[in-house]
Amino acid sequence: MLPFRLTFRPGVPISDQVVYAATRAIVAGQLQPGEPFPSVRTLSRDLKINPNTAHKVITQLLNDGLLESRPGIGTVVAQLPRSTATQRTDLLGPQIEELVVEAKRLSIDLDDITAAITRHWKRLTTPPAGGSK
Amino acid sequence: MTTAMPAIETHGLSKTFGHTEALAPLDLSVPRGAVFALVGHNGAGKTTLIKLMLNILRPTHGGATILGRPTTTLTGKSFTHIGYVSENQELPDWMTVQAMMDYLRPFYPTWDEAHLLSDLDLPPDRKLKQLSRGMRMKAALASVLAFRPPLIIMDEPFSGLDPLVRDELIKALLDRMSDEYEDDPNGGLTILISSHDLAEVESFATHVAFLHQGKLLFAESLATLTARFREVIVTLDPAMTTSAFTPPITWLLPESTASVYRFIHTNAELDNFEQQVRALLPHATEIRSEPMTLRTIFLALAKSSQAQDRSRA
Repeated sequence: MLPFRLTFRPGVPISDQVVYAATRAIVAGQLQPGEPFPSVRTLSRDLKINPNTAHKVITQLLNDGLLESRPGIGTVVAQLPRSTATQRTDLLGPQIEELVVEAKRLSIDLDDITAAITRHWKRLTTPPAGGSK
Repeated sequence: MTTAMPAIETHGLSKTFGHTEALAPLDLSVPRGAVFALVGHNGAGKTTLIKLMLNILRPTHGGATILGRPTTTLTGKSFTHIGYVSENQELPDWMTVQAMMDYLRPFYPTWDEAHLLSDLDLPPDRKLKQLSRGMRMKAALASVLAFRPPLIIMDEPFSGLDPLVRDELIKALLDRMSDEYEDDPNGGLTILISSHDLAEVESFATHVAFLHQGKLLFAESLATLTARFREVIVTLDPAMTTSAFTPPITWLLPESTASVYRFIHTNAELDNFEQQVRALLPHATEIRSEPMTLRTIFLALAKSSQAQDRSRA
């Protein structure tokens, strides 16, 4: 079984959509560090995607530091990697600015934006590992 | 970069039956390793094209090569490298599923049927004539997958099948692609699938060609196709509307009211899309664009082609 779900949207490359769904599952704790990640074959079968695309997804997640190869075990979920200063500056600068511009264009209040961010943040927050479920 | 020989290549390939041109001269290249979807409505020429590729029909003009061989020189032995599954597959009806596999095995040096029948949930002891349409398609696919051909050609494999069987067929195909991928990531199992409804192969096809009334409207990679098509809705300043606007040929199916102009952009440049549209519609107040599914792209192309034919007539 795949530990995440997705419905493909047109116009966005399939590999990007799968990378996003997997990233989301990892930050939300649906996939815990050390857990095995589905193989190329499983991704291909279950999502009905080309094995080449499935391979691209795994390579991307390895490059992002979200997965790691363990000899003898296979590909597993990594500890969330520390972000670099550039990555943080990029998110907190230009990307947040884009969101603010869109929000102002649509006349959305700052309060509504912060409330929405908080809501998503809570929904995707990892429950403490090893804690009771 | 390797310049590997394409799996299938056609040059000015055409077919005429009596006075009817079933296929206008057509140039097509199916790269090795592609999952090539051949789409078109019933009667568009898909089966004719496939039969030309397999030397079941002789071309009227032009020619084609398949795995490097001119199609007109294909012999029985060539078909140990080419798997062909068609909608109306003839099967030895009097045989059981297992008997058919046993019968075919000696013809193919590369035969390997391990797990195939159980993976496809096929009853080995059942006679082929007693099988449902879906089961027969599965048996036909099993008989092709078993000899591990580097090229598989499927003519409307999913038509008239229930979703469950379609799912099993697709999974069997993807499994084989994964096998090949594990053996050689750059290698080349090539699959050509014809269909009048591409929804089911959209997620794993790499290339798509569209035949319409015997003509090839385009053939390209799925990535470039889905990138260049956009459904566009432009809001216009009604005070400034110019009534005599003629859209460029890259804009299909234009429709307009006093304040809205809608069309299909077939050559969208996503980096400067707004400028691209505004250059022709300077009085636009808002430009919105939506990506399109394959199904809506084909529908738009077919409609537009019909409209062109009407205006020519």
